[in-house]
Amino acid sequence: MLPSAGVYYFPWEINSSVPEGEALRTFGRLCCYDLARSEAVLTAHHSSAQYQVCVDTKFVEPFQAQVGSCYMVLGEAEHREGEGPVVKARILTCVEGLNMPLLEQAIQEQRKYQRERRRRW
Amino acid sequence: MQSESRKYEEEETPSLHWGLDPVFFAFARLYIKDIKEMRESKQVPGIFFYNRHPVRQVDVVGIVVQRKERDAFYSYGVDDSTGVINCVCWKNPMVTEQSSSGRPSTPNSLTVLEQIKKLQEMVSQKTKLEIGDVVRVRGHIRTYRQQREIQASCFYKVDDPVCNVQISRMLELPCLYREVYDKPFQGPEEGQSGLEGQTFSINVLHQKVESFLLENKIQTFYQQELETIDTLMSLVVVHLPTPDCQESKSTCSSKRIHSVFQQAIRMLQEKGVVFQKPGSSKELYHVTDNDKELLKVTLDVIKKDCRKPRHAENGCHFLHILNCVRQSHNPSLTEVVMHRVLELLERNSDVVSTMEGYYMTF
Repeated sequence: MLPSAGVYYFPWEINSSVPEGEALRTFGRLCCYDLARSEAVLTAHHSSAQYQVCVDTKFVEPFQAQVGSCYMVLGEAEHREGEGPVVKARILTCVEGLNMPLLEQAIQEQRKYQRERRRRW
Repeated sequence: MQSESRKYEEEETPSLHWGLDPVFFAFARLYIKDIKEMRESKQVPGIFFYNRHPVRQVDVVGIVVQRKERDAFYSYGVDDSTGVINCVCWKNPMVTEQSSSGRPSTPNSLTVLEQIKKLQEMVSQKTKLEIGDVVRVRGHIRTYRQQREIQASCFYKVDDPVCNVQISRMLELPCLYREVYDKPFQGPEEGQSGLEGQTFSINVLHQKVESFLLENKIQTFYQQELETIDTLMSLVVVHLPTPDCQESKSTCSSKRIHSVFQQAIRMLQEKGVVFQKPGSSKELYHVTDNDKELLKVTLDVIKKDCRKPRHAENGCHFLHILNCVRQSHNPSLTEVVMHRVLELLERNSDVVSTMEGYYMTF
């Protein structure tokens, strides 16, 4: 069985409205990594607010955590009691040097095209 | 997608015409979601239809999210963020066989052997994939146990440390879809009717008008003048087979001809091939390439400003040039015309582009 496609989400879109179990990919700077709890936090800025994405790293350990570097995560959303959603990472890649504005533009272009097509058909 | 495929359910393009569609011979760069949802041909299994385009081979880039090893091949699950598909990648027999073959003794063949060895190492490096790697796969599609998969004819690991390859593909695909895949393939007998016929004719017409203007070095023209040129008119009449204009030129409604020419000229305006000036008559068009004055003014601006210390090193920026020419020559000059002028000057080696958007003279 193949997993579902990891749809692009912006870090600021990861909130309680993301469906449970949704396969997604997102990105951000690694701001902390708690080895004992297998938990990492990615951060991103968007329209002068800071957003955080919690990542469960159990499946991708061991990995070289470089705090401050940019990471791309692909995994499933999981809602836990008393916290925001957590992304259970299947893939966690360091992409330091990533051109974030360009990636944002590329994601927007892809969505725009998909929207256009849905409207047409 | 659903309604589209239903619409064409009955009328599959006859296989005889497939070869007329360039998509048929290309590795179609489709979203994985589309590869999985395309309808398979009833005439020839293994051929699929995206929007009536017959697709034989595809080209995908994605992240390896699953990896299974078999005796002779690997099966990789590849995810491009729209879908996940299995790619069957055969193990390379060359790498295992060749290494056990005998060793030639001459020094020349030794270096060749070394080269081959290096090449094999490279091949095995590029084809050894782990989960999380970015991969590019080309191959044909087949259905195996009701699951669509790609039989790779070529696959390799993409070195994409900062996602540039993935980003550029994400930016490219929407354009490719709009320009190619979403435009339905027209079989030979159905191509020239109705709206399709008209857009086709405008496309052809605007190209012909462009080459007519450039070949004859025309500086200015009125639309009515174009409508007296036989070679252009015959094009419009042939491709506008409406009921009232099949008999002869004269019966073809002049309004339609007028509007087709108008649209063709508008296309040329959008491309910056022709433009209008605020001072001159409203219906007069100027041909950018043949407007010596505009070329000279632009060149003078660059020459003059490149002598100033702030522009001496990098040259003048496009917007700066545009501003100067607007101020001194034509306030309504569009960017696209300016681009065309600069391209022309560059082609003639009158100016040199030092970097993206900057121009200078020597």
